[in-house]
Amino acid sequence: MADAKPKPPILEVERLTKYFGGLAAVKDVSFEVREGQIFGFIGPNGAGKTTLFSIIAGALKPSSGKVRSRGRDITALKPFQLVQAGIARTHQIVRPFREMTVLENVKLASHFGRKNVTSDSAAEEHAMQILTWFGMETFAQKSASILSVGLQKRLEITRAMATEPDLLLCDEICGGLTHVETAAMLDWLRRIRDRGTTVMYVEHDVKAITAVCDRILVLNYGRKLSEGAPDHIQQDPAVIEAYLGHPPGRRQEG
Amino acid sequence: MTLIEFVNLLASALLLAGIYAVMSVGMTVIYGVMKIVNLAHAGFMMLGAYLALELFERFRIDPILAALLVFPVMFVVGRVLHWLLVRRLPTSDQPTLASLLLMFGLWLVLQNLGYFIWGNADRSIYTSHTLSLLRFGAVTISTVRLVVFGAAVACMVALHLILNHTWFGRSVRALIQNRYAGQIVGVDDQKTASITFGLGIGFAGLAGALLASLYSFNPDFGRPFLIRAFVIIVLGGLESVSGVAIGAFVLAFVETFGILFVPAGYQLALSYGLLVVVLIFLPGGVAALTAKVRRLA
Repeated sequence: MADAKPKPPILEVERLTKYFGGLAAVKDVSFEVREGQIFGFIGPNGAGKTTLFSIIAGALKPSSGKVRSRGRDITALKPFQLVQAGIARTHQIVRPFREMTVLENVKLASHFGRKNVTSDSAAEEHAMQILTWFGMETFAQKSASILSVGLQKRLEITRAMATEPDLLLCDEICGGLTHVETAAMLDWLRRIRDRGTTVMYVEHDVKAITAVCDRILVLNYGRKLSEGAPDHIQQDPAVIEAYLGHPPGRRQEG
Repeated sequence: MTLIEFVNLLASALLLAGIYAVMSVGMTVIYGVMKIVNLAHAGFMMLGAYLALELFERFRIDPILAALLVFPVMFVVGRVLHWLLVRRLPTSDQPTLASLLLMFGLWLVLQNLGYFIWGNADRSIYTSHTLSLLRFGAVTISTVRLVVFGAAVACMVALHLILNHTWFGRSVRALIQNRYAGQIVGVDDQKTASITFGLGIGFAGLAGALLASLYSFNPDFGRPFLIRAFVIIVLGGLESVSGVAIGAFVLAFVETFGILFVPAGYQLALSYGLLVVVLIFLPGGVAALTAKVRRLA
């Protein structure tokens, strides 16, 4: 039997550390993301979520540590190289190409993404398929600048998915959305996972994260505080303490 | 002013606009993609002018054809400079002091290189066509100006087609609109920046070579044109190629018709005046205006 060795994980973070000056924003964080999961990280303000996300997404260089995907070292790759390696991302603040139509936005991803669709008509067809999958086909010819915030966020994800990634990194995609829009957005994440793309998701909103994630990493002061399924996290005393403070009567000295 | 005078002025404004557009478009694409204000633009125009002169004097190549040959040479020069120097600049969404200093330094180096190779005497390209005129009824047009205008318009149209109908052009437009979004759809921003820098320098050289058929030049050539290019790209909204075309027409018309009201020596003052007016009343340039109209439509 040859299946003694499991397939290397789609994302493997090994002892990642990032110093800003003398301050460690992320310290010695290690974790793995398995295929087919929605993997989330949470943490109080300043816990190092954004720093960790930025390093994985190739926007920041770590002080030490490694990021691997399927066994390949991707630590030093630039954002566009990550796209070619099958790792796409969305931005917290949406960044559409404002002077282009929705279709043109997605078409660029069809061509420059991993699929590398060369001909103009094939790229258009590919982009239309993805747009239709996300229910955006009626907006295809509209200018990206006139979409509502909710639709711009959906365009951001649609465009990332048009690069045909194996792993999608989502940065606070529910920020600024209404409850209804948030619920819909989380549903899109589940559908993306079920379609075969692993999702890594950072969010401020603990409720959103626990609702959608299969596995959660909790950060505090740049270190890993806890990791596990949502139920496990919600009952972990260390996590409760980090979010709510020390229970009265058990306050530590000093 | 008689109607004939008016039509003559109109024709010369139009011819001037074509050369102004080619002269400014290189700055616009470089600024748009890299947010670098190419202060060395005039230096590359000067190099283009001398290259055209050399091609004409040594190989008897027609100056207009020479200008078209200058383009690929300067394109390569631009890409080499990008690889050697420009790519080492910190990336930013705004012009950085480092980039301004680098480009200004580059201009000084180019100028002095020009003095070293060609000396400080004024040169010009003189052919049998230089003084020839074409008459269309009452309107008289210099043949060379008309040909230069044709070449300029052809190059602008070619650039427009490249930007709108090739994947490279789309990657340029994507990076102009949002660099981060460009990166996350998989655009190799360094490669696009390098080719764009080559194009920008190529257009500077081309414009200089075309201008060499109209004006005399020395290694300090291009300084007044640099100022005009600034006015034009601010008018056009800094990052828009069609904005440049419009900006070039506005400036050319203001300068041409301005001589009816103020002495010709005040032409540059008119350009600066226009710049001030635009910065006060239309800081986003023509591009911001059209974007607003499109949103309302």
